[in-house]
Amino acid sequence: MDPLILTQGLNVLFAVTLLVIIVLGLAVVFGWLGVMNLAHGEFIMLGAYAAVFTNQHGLPFILAVPLAMLVCGTVGWLVERILIRPLYARPFDLLLATWGLGILIREVVEAFYGGGFHNVPVPVAGAVDVLGASYPAYRLLIIALAAPLIGLMLWWYLKSSTGARVKAMVGNPELAQAVGIQTDVLARNTFIFGSLLAGLAGVVIAPLMSANPYMGLDFVITAFFAIIVGGLGSVLGLFVGSGIIGGLDSVVSAILNRTTAYLLVLAIAVFFLWLRPRGIFSRV
Amino acid sequence: MAYFLAFSAALVALVLAIPAVLGLYWTFQLSLTFLYAIVAIGIGICWGQGGFLPLGQGMFLGLGAYMSGLILVNYSGSAIIWLLLPAAAIVPAVLAWGIGLAVFRGRTESGPFFALITLALTLLAFQIANTWNDVTGGFNGLRNIPDLPGMDGYDARYYFAAGALVAALGLAAWLINAPLGVVWRALAQNERRIVFFGYSTTHLKATAFAVAGFLAGFAGLLYAPQQNLVTPTLSGFLISADLVIWTAVGGRRSVIGPPVGAILIGVLTTELRDRVTVWEVIVSLVFILVVLYLPNGLVGMLAPLQRRLAALAARRPKPVEAPPPAHGGLAAPALGVDGCHLSVGDVHILDGLSLALEAPSIYCLIGPNGAGKTSTFNTITGELKSQSGDIRFDGVALGALPPERIAKLGIGRKFQIPSVFTELSVRDNIHVALWGTRARFLDLLKPSLRRWQTPVLAQLRQRYPFLENDAEMAGNLSHGERQILELAMSLVAEPRLLLLDEPCAGMSAEDSQIVIDTIHWARQTLGLTVVVIEHDMALVREIADHIFVMHQGSLLAQGDVASIQADTRVRDVYVGITV
Amino acid sequence: MSPLFQFDDIVGGYGEVEVVRGVSGQIEPGRVVGVTGRNGVGKSTLLKLLFGSLPLIGGAVRFRGRDLKGTSPAQRSRDGISFCPQERIVFDNLGVWENLSLMQSRAAVEDFAVFFEVFPRLRERLRQHAGTLSGGERKMLSFMRTMSEGKTLALLDEPTEGVQQENIDHMTDLVLQARHDQRSFVIVEQNIHFLENVADYLIVMDQGRIVLEGPAVTIKRADIIAHLGV
Repeated sequence: MDPLILTQGLNVLFAVTLLVIIVLGLAVVFGWLGVMNLAHGEFIMLGAYAAVFTNQHGLPFILAVPLAMLVCGTVGWLVERILIRPLYARPFDLLLATWGLGILIREVVEAFYGGGFHNVPVPVAGAVDVLGASYPAYRLLIIALAAPLIGLMLWWYLKSSTGARVKAMVGNPELAQAVGIQTDVLARNTFIFGSLLAGLAGVVIAPLMSANPYMGLDFVITAFFAIIVGGLGSVLGLFVGSGIIGGLDSVVSAILNRTTAYLLVLAIAVFFLWLRPRGIFSRV
Repeated sequence: MAYFLAFSAALVALVLAIPAVLGLYWTFQLSLTFLYAIVAIGIGICWGQGGFLPLGQGMFLGLGAYMSGLILVNYSGSAIIWLLLPAAAIVPAVLAWGIGLAVFRGRTESGPFFALITLALTLLAFQIANTWNDVTGGFNGLRNIPDLPGMDGYDARYYFAAGALVAALGLAAWLINAPLGVVWRALAQNERRIVFFGYSTTHLKATAFAVAGFLAGFAGLLYAPQQNLVTPTLSGFLISADLVIWTAVGGRRSVIGPPVGAILIGVLTTELRDRVTVWEVIVSLVFILVVLYLPNGLVGMLAPLQRRLAALAARRPKPVEAPPPAHGGLAAPALGVDGCHLSVGDVHILDGLSLALEAPSIYCLIGPNGAGKTSTFNTITGELKSQSGDIRFDGVALGALPPERIAKLGIGRKFQIPSVFTELSVRDNIHVALWGTRARFLDLLKPSLRRWQTPVLAQLRQRYPFLENDAEMAGNLSHGERQILELAMSLVAEPRLLLLDEPCAGMSAEDSQIVIDTIHWARQTLGLTVVVIEHDMALVREIADHIFVMHQGSLLAQGDVASIQADTRVRDVYVGITV
Repeated sequence: MSPLFQFDDIVGGYGEVEVVRGVSGQIEPGRVVGVTGRNGVGKSTLLKLLFGSLPLIGGAVRFRGRDLKGTSPAQRSRDGISFCPQERIVFDNLGVWENLSLMQSRAAVEDFAVFFEVFPRLRERLRQHAGTLSGGERKMLSFMRTMSEGKTLALLDEPTEGVQQENIDHMTDLVLQARHDQRSFVIVEQNIHFLENVADYLIVMDQGRIVLEGPAVTIKRADIIAHLGV
């Protein structure tokens, strides 16, 4: 095979995989729990700064994983308790409060680390030869790592039918209570789980792009679009939405340019929000 | 009134004195802040009045600014700019109106999806501004934009911006106090309900969005010559979100809240950003607290003071006699439902329902749970569309009409759960019903409609003295009073056919009797036809001239009270023998 | 010894509207109490008050001698009370099988064999979303879910509404079998035939109060119909 085409193909695969990793957490929080968390990107950013922290203190990269989970889990727990719980039934206010939260997290991080960019060295350097095409090893590692990450989410989703219970709780909270689901506990755990996935995504991303306090904005918006295109609450939709948004973006970027790709992604997002707000694969 | 004048005079003096007292820096800063305040006023109209959140006002601000900048760059020195410049505000208004119509059509909800659409659109606007180098100047923006003729110098620009802000406030105050504002607030509370009073929510919301688009475009128009520079960030998402924050903190529901928020945060940020390192943290914390605990913002905390001022100024306006309803005739026309089917999935909600209301009288619709009684009302009023069959009212086929058109033909309804607008006064509640069948859309701009009075209203006030106390918030009424208020609202609209869904649900025996008397009274004085869904057979016996019994989506039996009571099939479905 | 389930002078409703105005009763293991009355007299509200879906304005509910005050519906379910509501009776956005196995994740289809034998339609539709079932099928699914929980006490709200006679007969058999297994029921119903077949004790309500009650054998059908009356 032509190495150039192969490289481009790997690029598209990588772009989609990366987007899936970014979307996973929001798929849990927004797609299943129905919380339009505009601060989700900031949880990803916190994860990236966990990698910045371990790097600055000369610790192994892998330690960023437990650190990110600790930070994002704690913040997620606090946020659910203080901010999200009173607002489940007030979607506008939820949107605004989480936007405010996003600013808050950005500014706090900026107060500690400044507004500049922080690089994290790639933990697995070098390139690997794939069928004649030389491709960065860390990118390949991410494509490989996506599998266990997605597996983790699916395990949680399927484990003692947690995913079904979350759907049940969101669709019919009274009946969910009646069959014995402690809805407040389940909602809290779901939110924390989504925050943890965001933190993990941040760690994975940190070596690929410089960490800075504003990095979360693009992530959350792209992730929202992918979920809306794919369909809220659908596992299959998550992959299809990420595939369409991420694939389109990288293919059009390669053929034409980044701006056209971005405009196209926005146009598709507007189309779905307007005419197909339930996406391609919506639940029910 | 004297207080208000003194306060206004002091404020005007303060605004006029600022360039002399505070100097160039603040004059410049405030000029810009005033423009943001104008945009915030528009957000207040959409979000505080109409109940939907525009998250992308930057696109209209940017559009106005780029248009204004291009006009000034290309035609500077020519008088033609005075002809062209208004377009910089009008084009954003028309664009907003078009977006509003497209997005709101066919949806009776204003959920967060609208907000996300505006967000995506403003990202799109930013991207276009950033990359369309030939026109917008790309990343560097439009530079060296000439001043408006005669507006050179910071003081002149400052006074001009202040004047524009006052004009925008005047426009907003007029709209918010006009009947249109009342209907917007009713819409924000219960969108589904106002449709059945005869309002098109699509047009109401699109109009609010157009006003906001106009104000944002207007601010952009002034921005270009004031700053001599327009860059893509002006149409970006961050500024759009900041504008929403300022609106929320100031108080979205009042006229002055949004500009107060914009100016206050603008001034404090200018002053404190460099001195207090955690300033942005403080702003975001304040914003979160406002969202959680202060839905009416900082200005909302002054509400008790405002109420006292309003009470001082309160005088009962002289009533104006309202015109008759647009549908004209009082004589109740015939309604025919013929072979209607309605199913969702495998479930047949209506299964070949046919019934005819020929003469004006009181009909009762009874039947076991799930028989399709409320669905019948929903189908007649256009909320549900039957898949086959025909519904005619006064010879007009209702099948294809939207609910608000059906309401305007003179079909009124009262819901089972009282759905009065709790955050409006009793008077406003009644007026929303009164205007629905009488006022054309543009009439809603006339303040005199808020003094409308009709003979029916006068008589209802005599029957129910609590309706006289018309400044009371409907939310403070008891359950029984709310039921009666909603009944009164249905009656002042003077429908020709009135559909009542369990009008006595949850009422005491005495209150029920009052409602029954009113139904009788309305039937006789207004000559209308009434259909009542009722479970309480004692009540049915008392009011029904004719009874329809429904079962499994179709008509099981009909007749007068005695014949229904004698009908064994009816008794069987009530005790559970399925026929 | 105190009865299994006991409620005294229950008062409650929606907001300030009192729908139930002082209703008392009790139930022993292996017994079925039937509650009937016209639409809108407060039967469903009574069940919601007993299960804790609505707050009590007055009165008390006791289960195994313990006051349930402050116990959430989820906790009551865990303690051994099933509830089968009248509205929004199944999870429309879940499949039939997910509806059944939601809280019994280790369950196999065979565990429900006794139910599928009499409701074979549901077995054919295990993977289908419950929201696409017909009204009667949803009723059966809801009933089956409640019965399969196997709890000591079940509160059923209009289980036979919109269900074909043949399936009502199956429901009768299943309730009688459960009663034989010492399980207890409070059943709100307008179908008097069904109640006559399953209930030991009947309560007739009107205007939020009990207007007639007693052991099922002592109450004449004509008296009930007079209260249900058209």
